[in-house]
Amino acid sequence: MPSIELEGVYKIFGEEPEKALEMIEEGAGKDEVREKTGHVIGVQDISFKIKDNELFVIMGLSGSGKSTLLRCVNRLVNPTKGTITLHADGSDYDITAADKESLREIRETQVSMVFQNFALFPHRTVAENVSFGLEIQGVDKTERNKKAKELIEVVGLEGFGDSFPSQLSGGMQQRVGLARGLATGAEVLLMDEPFSALDPLIKVEMQNELLDLMEEMQRTVLFVTHDLDEALKVGDRITIMDAGRMVQKGTPEEIIVNPKTEYVADFVENADPSDVLRAETVAEKDFRVHDHRVSLDEMTEVEVNDQNEVVQGYISGTPVPVRPLEDYDSIEEDAILYSSKDTPISKIMRARLAYSSRPVLVLRDKELIGFVKESNILQGLLEKGRGD
Amino acid sequence: MSKMNLSLKKLFGGVVSALGWVFLYPLTVAARIGTPLLELPAKPASIPLDKWTVVAVDWLALNIEVFFDFIQLVLNSINEGLLAAIQWVPIFVVNIGGAPIRFPVWSLILFFLLWYLSGQITTGLLGLVTLWLAANFGLYIETTETFSLTLTSALIAISLGIPSGILAGISDTVHNIIRPVLDLMQTMPVFVYLIPAVIFFGMGAAPGAVATVIFAYPPSVRLTNLGIREVPDELVEAGEAFGCNYWQLLMKVQIPVARPSIMQGVNQSIMLALSMAVVAALIGAGGLGGEVVRGIQRMRVGQGFVAGLSVVFTAMILDRATANIGARERE
Repeated sequence: MPSIELEGVYKIFGEEPEKALEMIEEGAGKDEVREKTGHVIGVQDISFKIKDNELFVIMGLSGSGKSTLLRCVNRLVNPTKGTITLHADGSDYDITAADKESLREIRETQVSMVFQNFALFPHRTVAENVSFGLEIQGVDKTERNKKAKELIEVVGLEGFGDSFPSQLSGGMQQRVGLARGLATGAEVLLMDEPFSALDPLIKVEMQNELLDLMEEMQRTVLFVTHDLDEALKVGDRITIMDAGRMVQKGTPEEIIVNPKTEYVADFVENADPSDVLRAETVAEKDFRVHDHRVSLDEMTEVEVNDQNEVVQGYISGTPVPVRPLEDYDSIEEDAILYSSKDTPISKIMRARLAYSSRPVLVLRDKELIGFVKESNILQGLLEKGRGD
Repeated sequence: MSKMNLSLKKLFGGVVSALGWVFLYPLTVAARIGTPLLELPAKPASIPLDKWTVVAVDWLALNIEVFFDFIQLVLNSINEGLLAAIQWVPIFVVNIGGAPIRFPVWSLILFFLLWYLSGQITTGLLGLVTLWLAANFGLYIETTETFSLTLTSALIAISLGIPSGILAGISDTVHNIIRPVLDLMQTMPVFVYLIPAVIFFGMGAAPGAVATVIFAYPPSVRLTNLGIREVPDELVEAGEAFGCNYWQLLMKVQIPVARPSIMQGVNQSIMLALSMAVVAALIGAGGLGGEVVRGIQRMRVGQGFVAGLSVVFTAMILDRATANIGARERE
């Protein structure tokens, strides 16, 4: 599986970027460089590593350099300085040093792209759009059609293969764009604000489908967005950019819980943390095991073994089963729910509302590490986890 | 009374002329003083571009005659070949009430062709009626001549124009070079290059075709160039992002996306070719234009009008046949 490594990547727009680069190295700021040399700094000293099968989000406002950085990865924009390395198929490709032909091959087979305004070819049918990359690869027509049909089904557009893009709605068009990106078999997918041009409802639907797809299809995704909620929702990790620089990098929760700068804090302020905060973060971990029993509240307790694995639950002294949180709507008897440590608290809140308001156990593998009561959730939401 | 009148008139005339003299004399003096300044440059001109042109044209006519002969041969072959093919299709004549009514088979072919090309049966009917009318106006031969000259010239203009337009679309250098040439071709009064055309190619269809090609070439170039330049950046990026090489990008993305604009250029070229093919009658290209010219020369209003009307019909056929090709594909 592929991974991508960026090291000290700069992009400076202008006639003599070396001059501007020198100024930056001497500590000049963005505005100073622009005033003195007329050069615009697009991206400044970016380093990070995208792990395989990760959905890595670059987030920032317009003009923050996020799209430029994304385009550096397949060299639609040539970085001024720095190296970008792609590890795929057991070999390393130095993208920044690649010549025209090897760059073309990388684009053809390793890295594909999805665009903000879909960028579908208006003269091609949906199927022809989807198989465009394969056509460039020189795959023969029957094979191409087969693959196109398969991917059109994957993105839920059965029966639209012979339509033209102009006949489809925005959401459907981006499904075509996504299918085209997936069709080449490239394991790295660059997504440039793919859902920004869509209606809010369609947008959420597409985000969910993207997450499902990624679970199925094993891709390494670099995803650009200006929408924090989107970033928090789809991202395994997020990097936040401001004025060409990387301000913070971390998991959605780390960013919500611990914004490093004012800029990030401003962003995060209005974000809904309930999808991001995990059970482990808000859980009450300060519990005592007394004679293999843990008391959760006045009525509820659980029995654990020596490895702190839960054996049996009790409600008012009556033995009850311990069931996973996800099953709450199919549990008929009284039971105690448990969640994994990474479950977002929004799920716990939903289960508590629908099933019972008793504490929910938090497990790491099978070991009990804490439990979540109403007060933990409230505290977590109010303080975004910091009051721990 | 009459004497009185006469003297009054004299007096009035005298006053007017006196006033006129008083006011106008200074003006005439001023005009005379100003004359050397106001007068156009005296001939011979200090930059005798006219003479140089003559020298250049004479030199070309003398020294690369073979080249011009070759072009003449090619143009005549295409034109006459096309004409022969068009005229090979027969006309049926039926006597109705003693008057011979002509039914050209072409009108039927045109009906189906236009129906197919435009997708509308009314356009087909237009073709049918037009050709039937032309035949019965007694202008069938002339119409076919104009058709073949127009198509020959347009074919050449387009097959040169689209590649030039593509080059101009992808290269700023080519664009900057070709633009003033196009301006020259389009704004130079058409009669001006009929003269050298005659010198190089003699009278007849060949110089007419050359003048027509020159006139019909620019719109193909301009609209192809525009179409290529207006391909959205994101589509070009998409092509590149999927690994297109330069050639693939051109053939699979830029040209197909620019196609509607290119087809508009084709349409414009054909229409301009027709208008010039009519004017080319002045140098003996014949056809409907010849009828118009004869009508003017002999003051025959009716002959000129009927020929002019046939030109209009021909224009409508050509326009409808080519206007929808680009648009139809989007449906």
